[in-house]
Amino acid sequence: MAGAGGGGCPAGGNDFQWCFSQVKGAIDEDVAEADIISTVEFNYSGDLLATGDKGGRVVIFQREQENKGRTHSRGEYNVYSTFQSHEPEFDYLKSLEIEEKINKIRWLPQQNAAHFLLSTNDKTIKLWKISERDKRAEGYNLKDEDGRLRDPFRITALRVPILKPMDLMVEASPRRIFANAHTYHINSISVNSDHETYLSADDLRINLWHLEITDRSFNIVDIKPANMEELTEVITAAEFHPHQCNVLVYSSSKGTIRLCDMRSSALCDRHAKFFEEPEDPSSRSFFSEIISSISDVKFSHSGRYMMTRDYLSVKVWDLNMEGRPVETHQVHEYLRSKLCSLYENDCIFDKFECCWNGSDSAIMTGSYNNFFRMFDRNTRRDVTLEASRENSKPRACLKPRKVCTGGKRKKDEISVDSLDFNKKILHTAWHPMESIIAVAATNNLYIFQDKIN
Amino acid sequence: MEFKLEAHRIVSISLGKIYNSRVQRGGIKLHKNLLVSLVLRSARQVYLSDPCPGLYLAGPTGIPTVPPPQQPGEPVAGPPSGWGEPPPPSARAAWPEPEPQPQRPSVCHTPGTGSSEPVAAVAGAGDALPGREADSAAAAWGRVERPRAMASGGGPDTCPEGPRAVRRPCGCPPAREEQPAEDGSPAPPAPCPRKRGAAGVGGGRAGCPAPGSTPLKKPRRNSEEQPSTGEEDTDTDEEMETGNVANLISIFGSSFSGLLRKSPAGGREEEEAEESGPEAAEPGQICCDKPVLRDMSPWSTAIVAF
Repeated sequence: MAGAGGGGCPAGGNDFQWCFSQVKGAIDEDVAEADIISTVEFNYSGDLLATGDKGGRVVIFQREQENKGRTHSRGEYNVYSTFQSHEPEFDYLKSLEIEEKINKIRWLPQQNAAHFLLSTNDKTIKLWKISERDKRAEGYNLKDEDGRLRDPFRITALRVPILKPMDLMVEASPRRIFANAHTYHINSISVNSDHETYLSADDLRINLWHLEITDRSFNIVDIKPANMEELTEVITAAEFHPHQCNVLVYSSSKGTIRLCDMRSSALCDRHAKFFEEPEDPSSRSFFSEIISSISDVKFSHSGRYMMTRDYLSVKVWDLNMEGRPVETHQVHEYLRSKLCSLYENDCIFDKFECCWNGSDSAIMTGSYNNFFRMFDRNTRRDVTLEASRENSKPRACLKPRKVCTGGKRKKDEISVDSLDFNKKILHTAWHPMESIIAVAATNNLYIFQDKIN
Repeated sequence: MEFKLEAHRIVSISLGKIYNSRVQRGGIKLHKNLLVSLVLRSARQVYLSDPCPGLYLAGPTGIPTVPPPQQPGEPVAGPPSGWGEPPPPSARAAWPEPEPQPQRPSVCHTPGTGSSEPVAAVAGAGDALPGREADSAAAAWGRVERPRAMASGGGPDTCPEGPRAVRRPCGCPPAREEQPAEDGSPAPPAPCPRKRGAAGVGGGRAGCPAPGSTPLKKPRRNSEEQPSTGEEDTDTDEEMETGNVANLISIFGSSFSGLLRKSPAGGREEEEAEESGPEAAEPGQICCDKPVLRDMSPWSTAIVAF
């Protein structure tokens, strides 16, 4: 995978010097729950960066053009558009409140001047069109500049309206609303490589939609047992293959991944491939099942590999080998002895995401204490970095962090018991082509770039 | 021993989570609850399989940790004094007939009937346990408590609330009122306290079936349990809690999984036959496995209700 894809994207992790670039969000210690970022996603070109939060809002940042003549600094991301995507709803039939939290955002490939993205909460997916307006028509015949209608009898001559520049206005409008197709909570959406369809997955079902059609969706995976008492696993994430429009994968709470081929049958209940690593019986505990639950699955850009994240590790799988992953990277193995406490404070249920860099040579995922981890697949080296306000000087390089697991704590190390489990990095994103990463730390969005430009 | 303590603690925590999930915004999260139920099952297995008799969270006075679902008509042997101890043979023998198919409504009735001791215990436990834990345990308690002797009327007042709360989710008819009539003893209130606490969604639902079995057993149980009633009264809440938790484990533990599942019909017949035999060996285990199957319905109700 080394060197493949992505122009100008060198190998990952340690060869880089990650430097602080920007931080977005309030500095206030008191974090409002609605401001907590729940998803981060770059678009296909990397010029736009979207975040969704628990309050149902979407904020899109756009990268400034690099025309300032500063060769060593890349364009900064500034707010481009902010809109309320989802509102809290109430299901009267079940007497349940539906959270407005944005679970996932996925961009559509750009086909014209406007940008499109899909955003979803627990129940409803929306297709948003984000378009720019920088011209305004003036000189209407039937209405004057205020917008008031003119009296037709007073119109003695006709004129052609002309377009005049105006301040840039970015408008977001919901173009499609895909609702009422999921009984359970939606955890994933994924746009197909055909750019016409997409999938949405909840705990027990995966539906296939056409972007143009909102009143129908096809159920392609259904793992709901006839008797709910026999429920043993749920779907935790799903994604379409980046190139093969008939292939999708979905992960389960049991630590397995199933690859399905939509050509084989309408209902893909029978998988084409089944990925599972045999469990190590020596590490069995009360919480073995919980920590083996996969929280995220991502195809590599090449489409040959996929990566899964469970509570303590990330694994890279070769699609051609179902028996075991080709790589396993420990994210925070020092937490294995703390599982009971993490169960008590619910941290063990945290769903960490993971991401590939543009060339698939490095992977990144988050941890606690605002730490995030990067693994270089070529050099087999890994690094732990921290997203914090203290390291937020412009272009300040991030220092690798180390967690001390026992014994004497060295200087600059932090002991496991000192970790702040409320500061968790669940969502990270990597620019599709360049060495820019976006890391969501609760209500703040950190953007880091590598020094080597 | 340590495993048992740890298992007990994990069970308590798990039950609390299940209860809390009910009131969380956004509705019940299926994934999380599934994982919690798996942990609950693991902890339960450890808890029940640990043959250490010394450490009774249930308390010293041989307060029987409630045996798993009491079948109607049979006085539950009652929780053996502490986990892991074989229940008194006589008590055991009364392994109730298979409970009618999970009839939540009927189950609901039971809370009231049948528990004299449990009442006291329940009351104690209910107060002792944190609200949420108690709530989730309510269902189990309803059942479990029954076998205990008519407890020193733990709280007639509390009872009605408890069972009622529990039943409401299930839509069971208010059995509360019936209990006193059936019992004619302080017992009816007994189960209530516990249930009341646990009247959370999860607990409520789970609890419904449990109560069902209790009423029948109650009469016999009362006579057997009487002696211990007094002791139970003085038992610490801690003990009660354990007993309840044990029952809860049995109720919740086998949900969400077909692994423990055996054919209900076959299970029942075997259950009675096995009562006397295996009881001595692993009373908890035997008690839990089969009866639990029947009692899966309360939890499954919750699941189905998603």
